Amino acid sequence: MSSLFDKIGAELRRGLVQIVALSLLRERLYGYQIVKILAAAGLETEEGTLYPLLRRLESQGLLLSEWDTQGSRPRKYYELSPEGRAALPRLEEVWRDITGAVGKILESDSPAVLAEAEAK
Amino acid sequence: MTEGVEQRVQRWLDEAATAMGGRPEGRRDALLELEATIFDRVDEKTREGKLPDEAVEDVLNALGDPAEVGSTFLPPAPLLPPSQARSYLLHTAVVFVAHFLVVVGATVAEHPFALGPVRILPIDNPRNVLDLLVRGLGTLFFDAGAVLAGYVLLSRLGRLSLLRRVTLGARLDARRCVQNACFLGLVFLVANFFRDNLLALYLPGPDGVTQIPFAGPGITSNLMLLDIWIVTAIARELFYAKRGERRITLVLDVVSNLFGLFALLRIVATGSLVDLSLAQSVLGLNADGVGALLNTVFVLLALVAAAILAGRVVRRSWRLKLLHR
Repeated sequence: MSSLFDKIGAELRRGLVQIVALSLLRERLYGYQIVKILAAAGLETEEGTLYPLLRRLESQGLLLSEWDTQGSRPRKYYELSPEGRAALPRLEEVWRDITGAVGKILESDSPAVLAEAEAK
Repeated sequence: MTEGVEQRVQRWLDEAATAMGGRPEGRRDALLELEATIFDRVDEKTREGKLPDEAVEDVLNALGDPAEVGSTFLPPAPLLPPSQARSYLLHTAVVFVAHFLVVVGATVAEHPFALGPVRILPIDNPRNVLDLLVRGLGTLFFDAGAVLAGYVLLSRLGRLSLLRRVTLGARLDARRCVQNACFLGLVFLVANFFRDNLLALYLPGPDGVTQIPFAGPGITSNLMLLDIWIVTAIARELFYAKRGERRITLVLDVVSNLFGLFALLRIVATGSLVDLSLAQSVLGLNADGVGALLNTVFVLLALVAAAILAGRVVRRSWRLKLLHR
């Protein structure tokens, strides 16, 4: 049963990482920095989840990336693109709507009564 | 960082790279990023007091199976979209039946006859069930490869909409299949110097298959060996993509490439294979339909293979340069 909880928990966290990563990338960071920030915040995320996500966001035009080869080893830095900066406030709004709605359902004794109340 | 540690990481990265899909530049990018992350973690552990060797082992163990990490980092791109995989099998079956009927026709025919651009010569080998079965299997292998080549071309052109909704769920690794196809192209390019007639290999006439001795009068033609090689390569991709059975794919890899090499040896030893001439197909001189078309495709693939090999050398040196800067 605990493995099932772990699995569902991991799926839930995976969904959160997208908006969290976008929010963090208001400043220039590289992948491992993001992993460490997320871990420190209690959102342990595997590289196998984060890096493909960063690539996807980049291909969607929300992030920009750049290799920095000045240091001891090359690092790929990510940052919000102008499109990403424009989209972030709207995504945060969507996120707040979702958390509000989920909160209501979780705290409600009867979702059916809640739905009726919302309809009125 | 000791040399042993770097080699250990490099081996791990090489294994991860084999499981990555995508374009070469994307793979290079992902590997560099992965490598930087590994060494960041190793540095962190050594600062905590671990020895470099131990730190590397800890980090790599924590990351897990390199092939799994590689395929998660950059998932293999499907050669054919899953929605077309079922359609591909159906078309292969249809073409196989048609091709098999041609073989039957050639078996029972007394005189040469033509079906469109394909010239069919009577088979003068012993006409028994086993002979027919072997020839039929040869056509199956050939058809599977030919139809796949057609599908890939069509799907790349975005013109294929047949049975798009039917899903088999298999994913083919485009990079590995293209590499296989390119190798086949190189084999055919070599064979091109020893041209005879494509269909004559298993629809032999006066200069047909019975004149290809290797280990006695074989009924296994060079073309059939190449077809077996194509089909085992496809099977390997299906296993790899669908089940991730790395041991099975390794066995298939070895088997299919042995067939490819054996075919190459036979071609060189017998000095005869198929009616595939670049001059014929491109210039239209005595072009013979299927053979000429396939020849053009294979020669183009051979050129792609050469470009890929050259690109790989350049990429490798660029990557080393970047890492050691």
